[in-house]
Amino acid sequence: MASRIVNFVKEGRKIIGVAMNYRDLAKATGASIPKKPLVFLKATSAYIEEGTPIQTPPECKELFQEVELGVIIGKTGSKIPKASVMDYIGGYTLALDMTAMDFLREARQTGGSWELYKGFDTACPVGKFIPKAKIPDPHNVGLWSKVNGELKQNGNSKDLIFDVPTIISHVSNYMTVEEGDLILTGSPAGICQVNPGDKITCGFSDIAEMTFHVADK
Amino acid sequence: MAAGLGRFVEVGRKIVCVGRNYSEHAAELGNKLPTEPVIFIKPTSSYITEGNAIKFPPGCSNLHHEVELGVVIGKEGSNISETSAMQHIGGYTLALDMTARDIQDNMKKKSLPWTLAKGFDTSCPVGSFIPIEKIPDPQNVGIWLKVNDAMRQNGHTKDMIFKVPFLISFISQYMRLDVGDLILTGTPAGVGPVTAGDVITCGLSDIATMSFKVSSD
Repeated sequence: MASRIVNFVKEGRKIIGVAMNYRDLAKATGASIPKKPLVFLKATSAYIEEGTPIQTPPECKELFQEVELGVIIGKTGSKIPKASVMDYIGGYTLALDMTAMDFLREARQTGGSWELYKGFDTACPVGKFIPKAKIPDPHNVGLWSKVNGELKQNGNSKDLIFDVPTIISHVSNYMTVEEGDLILTGSPAGICQVNPGDKITCGFSDIAEMTFHVADK
Repeated sequence: MAAGLGRFVEVGRKIVCVGRNYSEHAAELGNKLPTEPVIFIKPTSSYITEGNAIKFPPGCSNLHHEVELGVVIGKEGSNISETSAMQHIGGYTLALDMTARDIQDNMKKKSLPWTLAKGFDTSCPVGSFIPIEKIPDPQNVGIWLKVNDAMRQNGHTKDMIFKVPFLISFISQYMRLDVGDLILTGTPAGVGPVTAGDVITCGLSDIATMSFKVSSD
């Protein structure tokens, strides 16, 4: 298998995020259901792997954790029809979409950019590469997260507002997706604030699990 | 020079852009002057080099040109001080921050991320790598753009609100800068729409020029 897919953390050239993509999160927050996938970017310098702590970005007082199913692109393509998307998937990974929520809220109100508040260093903790065969149906994966042992998120990707083929097809109509790109597909209800010293554990059913610590100030 | 710097288009992992960094440009779009830099990201899939055409993204009828001085990072760093920022510059380039203005305005109005309006394929036309010796002072460069030979933007980098060393320092407080990363430092007044068949010519004083056609596809 091409190394860029397995080594997506070191070699991938973009991380795409999708906002408000779980029905239970929309319901819990009173947000309206989007008409199209809401696409943003996380800088690739945001990647960290287990063993490295999550850092709170400058002046942020509300750091949020959000567990997500990450899809790794296996084949470069643009304007990919929905029916062909599964052929472009190279694998999966567990991911946390760390967010500076106080700043993001302000940016949304003023029409500002999201990228500093989604793409700061350590904002994209990821797990190991998961081969495609281990997740035969990405629309039936349990996603859970715990903070200091307490269950915070407990959802399933069957609850996605826009499914994986819809997301990737939509993104690829605007931007070519390349081998090693990571697409984060959204987070279920229960996203929550974490504080310095907290321990985040998250996983996909019993397929994958990872732990990250939030660095002490 | 760090290996591969001339090939920043192929090896770079992010393009960090600065919005509203010339006061007359902020005013022309009805925006307030920022108290800190407005930062967004373009994906590296948006790069095109001369000989390739700029294309309208889906749903866009108001595609704007924005000529910018690009700074190519030559030495990686985080939390870079303003006084050492210049040491992290590997070189420069001429760039266009092509923008789907209608999509951007629409998303901003709805408090939604406008990433796709800035990150579509062909939205980052760049020129050749310019060695640092050719631009001893990045705050002393004329920057101009013509559409079909009519001058549209004609500014000077001394008019940047936030200067290059400050930008490098500010960005690096949030995101580590890697070798080959590109920073687009903002655009002067005179941004406006292009239509299919137009030819954009732009330059940095008499140091560099480049030309791109807007596709009629």
